[in-house]
Amino acid sequence: MTSVQVGIPAAVLKPKKVRRRLDMTLWEKLYVAEIVRGLVVTSKHFFINMIGFIFPPAGKKRKIFTVYYPEEKLTLPPAYRGRPVLVADAQGKEKCVACGLCEKMCPAHAISIVAAEKAPGERYPERYTLDLGRCVYCGYCEEVCPKEAIVMSDEYQGLAQRERSRLVFQKEQLLRPESKVKARLSYVRRIYSKWNY
Amino acid sequence: MAADLIESVAKILFIFAVNVGVFAPILGWVERKQSAVMQDRIGANRADILGFTAIGLFHSLADAIKLLTKEDFVPANANKFFHTLAPFISLVPAIAAFAIVPFGGRYELFGHEVHLVIADLDVGILYVFALAGLATYGTVLAGWSSRSNWSLLGGLRASAQMLSYEVAMGLSIIGLIMVYGTLKLTEIGAIQEDFFRWGIFLQPLGFIIFMTCAIAENKRIPFDIPEAESELVAGYFTEYSGMKFVMFWMAEFLEMVTISAVVTTLFFGAWHIPFVTDAMLLSWFQFAGPNGAAALAMLVNIAVFFTKVSFFIWLQMTIRWTLPRFRYDQVMRMCWKMLLPLSLINLSITGLVVLLL
Ligand code: SF4
Ligand code: SF4
Repeated sequence: MTSVQVGIPAAVLKPKKVRRRLDMTLWEKLYVAEIVRGLVVTSKHFFINMIGFIFPPAGKKRKIFTVYYPEEKLTLPPAYRGRPVLVADAQGKEKCVACGLCEKMCPAHAISIVAAEKAPGERYPERYTLDLGRCVYCGYCEEVCPKEAIVMSDEYQGLAQRERSRLVFQKEQLLRPESKVKARLSYVRRIYSKWNY
Repeated sequence: MAADLIESVAKILFIFAVNVGVFAPILGWVERKQSAVMQDRIGANRADILGFTAIGLFHSLADAIKLLTKEDFVPANANKFFHTLAPFISLVPAIAAFAIVPFGGRYELFGHEVHLVIADLDVGILYVFALAGLATYGTVLAGWSSRSNWSLLGGLRASAQMLSYEVAMGLSIIGLIMVYGTLKLTEIGAIQEDFFRWGIFLQPLGFIIFMTCAIAENKRIPFDIPEAESELVAGYFTEYSGMKFVMFWMAEFLEMVTISAVVTTLFFGAWHIPFVTDAMLLSWFQFAGPNGAAALAMLVNIAVFFTKVSFFIWLQMTIRWTLPRFRYDQVMRMCWKMLLPLSLINLSITGLVVLLL
């Protein structure tokens, strides 16, 4: 399985000049010349790509954006909101303190928490249920969490199920080590720190 | 005569095999793949036999199996007889029109004169027009007999469009016929042995008009208002499935081949390489003996002819994947207000020049 990056980096894109006056000039009204121009554009793509197919340029980033999905996967940007996961600390235990903010915040009522106490004054979620059949991937839970305990990951597979019950994830299925969601965490810190909540 | 019979059967089999066996499936693949390459995509490449995909060629095979095993559905209120007849009326002219197209010259092989054309009609080009007119019936009947609003609208549009464009198409050719002084396609081909007498040099305007009308006759984008999938589902063949659907589909591709063949014959020197006459070909292949030379020259003729045909198929595909569809009124206006006057002007200028020279 290979991971590919496609598309043109934003830095390379140049703004295009757009012609605002849209009534056709006489030259365009003649039509045939404009048809030929259109044909030249498409043929140019055709021949350039044809050469690319016959002699694939080695080591160069490919121009064709199509991703062969099961064999190739996109490298997703940290802004991608996949399914929410719980972050585990160094001991492999959840960071969540069962404050219940995400449960309250969730617009889809996807989260339900049963809180308990480990020691007096130290709360933890005894059960943390996330119904991905309800989740709308809005990211509010991540935004509201005071402990960075729940973040949106880059996982998107396994969400096509025949039974809805299989989309109900428990705490143990949701726990991910912190290293797995590092990119998203730093992105979240950067973005959310811009606004004065 | 036995030799004549063998020759005819061989030629018919050859043309049939090339059309139905090679062009029809390959064009299905070309249409997918060329559009993909033009649009910076990859295109169909998943069908494989033992992991071998042959750049998507097996998709035609998969298509064939799929369509053959599909249910042949006829709508409840449809006229069953005409509903079944329509695809045949569409497909048969598309194949039959190829009969008068010469794909090579006249050679002596084993003391028998072989002429690389199935039927050398005196009125060759009229026969093409007659069959093109016949194909209209297939479309209209398909639209009418399906008892579906989409189909009927498609059929009506097709009849209006095809009748209109036939007029301009016929007139665009007359200039060329005046210059060549013959309706026989073999003679027109033979005249174009001289590179400077290729139709494109004598009648450039006629070529553009003819090409436009031919694409319109074939109902392909940008003139595909009879099927207009964004307005009429699939137009006149909405109610067809399985093999009958394939027949319309094949008719479209084979008409494309026929158009390319006719354009090649009329405007692009038929089976000739520029500046190379058939006699020169024969003298080059002298080493193979008289029969071998004739056979080799024939092969070169056929190869050159089909290369040109392939080029025009490529051109039509490129046009199909480049231009957007015309609106219905635009199609009609283009025909009656632009192409028809243009072809009349072309005709009068040609007449004047022929008269003066
Ligand atoms: S992403 Fe939105 S919908 Fe999904 S669990 Fe979080 S808050 Fe609820
Ligand atoms: S907001 Fe964070 S800490 Fe509070 S319950 Fe939700 S995941 Fe746990």
